[in-house]
Amino acid sequence: MTRRQLLVLLAVIGVGIALYLTLYKIGVIGVLSCTVGSCEAVNTSKWSVFLGLPVSAWGLLAYVALLVIALIGGTEAREQSVPIAKIIVALAAWSVLFSAWLTYLELFVIHAICIWCVTSALLWVVILAVSIADLRAVSRAA
Amino acid sequence: MADKGVDGGRGRRSGVVAKQRGNSAQRFHVVLALVVVVGALLIVRAAKAPHARANVTTAPITAATAEGYLLGNANAPVQIMEFADFECPACGNFSVITEPDVRARIVNTGLASYRFFDYPLPMHKNTIAASNAAACAADQGKFWEMHDELFRNQPEWNGESTDNPKKIFAGYVKALGLNGDTWEKCFDEQTHQPRILANQAEGARRKVQSTPTFIIGTRMIPGAMSYDVFKAYVDSATKEAPAAKAAPAIPATPKADTAAKKITQ
Repeated sequence: MTRRQLLVLLAVIGVGIALYLTLYKIGVIGVLSCTVGSCEAVNTSKWSVFLGLPVSAWGLLAYVALLVIALIGGTEAREQSVPIAKIIVALAAWSVLFSAWLTYLELFVIHAICIWCVTSALLWVVILAVSIADLRAVSRAA
Repeated sequence: MADKGVDGGRGRRSGVVAKQRGNSAQRFHVVLALVVVVGALLIVRAAKAPHARANVTTAPITAATAEGYLLGNANAPVQIMEFADFECPACGNFSVITEPDVRARIVNTGLASYRFFDYPLPMHKNTIAASNAAACAADQGKFWEMHDELFRNQPEWNGESTDNPKKIFAGYVKALGLNGDTWEKCFDEQTHQPRILANQAEGARRKVQSTPTFIIGTRMIPGAMSYDVFKAYVDSATKEAPAAKAAPAIPATPKADTAAKKITQ
């Protein structure tokens, strides 16, 4: 499996998590499966909406963007493209920062942890690590 | 020949690379498809699950006891209760016209104690806020002063006049010399909401139908009334009160009755 393929896979997992939380937020899913922490306290708090959109919907957009970019970057012609690698690193870095802020809010402001949100935050860290490795590899090759 | 051989070698190598790439892509697509299918199944299952969405709050809600707000001596012979809504005009009229006399001539003279119970009605959109404003003033010992301000100035802050009554209440807080920050924190956090709801529940339990409703001694009287009518109810409750207390001490037996009759005859 190439690094870009791995990024596609991680993006698909992220889409699944973000879609799940977004569907809950808009009322399609009634109850969140939440064995650890208190997902509902977090997802019904006033911090669960950012610029008029649910935070989970922003996450969904970011994962879909990553998915599309990684799919394009995974084609044979663009596999060694440095600009694509840079875009993915930038997207992942921004998402890690945003997730870190959300995790801070969960821990110190809302005082509740949403396991799905934490999973998504960790997923972005992994995506950032893979995307940095990818950027270094394609830069070296170029 | 040599060239051909080299070319042929390259071709074989690239063929192997292409085959490896093809195998890798195939494996990747299988894994991807698996992830997508499993994810989709889980989400569909979650969406089809029963839809009982919980109301979640971060703060625990604890039940309060209905104690109302006491004026006068709690052990006075007659107990008066008022169930009122701060935004109800009839309650406002009673408060402004009759209540000063009730306080001066009935409560302050020790004839009766007076308890105010919030009975916010759903049609009044600022009444809960007013109940909170008064409850927060009670924290600083000025419930009755705030109660009077609210009733006297009803048209200033009621649902028809404003969507933001807090600003107007804050003016009363200032005029009454309360600590504005403490009051505001209490008001914003709705600290006394459980107490207000408990007072309301007490009214519902007693089947209060309209506001104001008074309970004077053992009688429940709906509607505002004049001082004279109010005093008449208090007087009759005062007469009942010692009799009710004394009743167990002097059992009225049939023998005693006949004895009394004999004497009078």
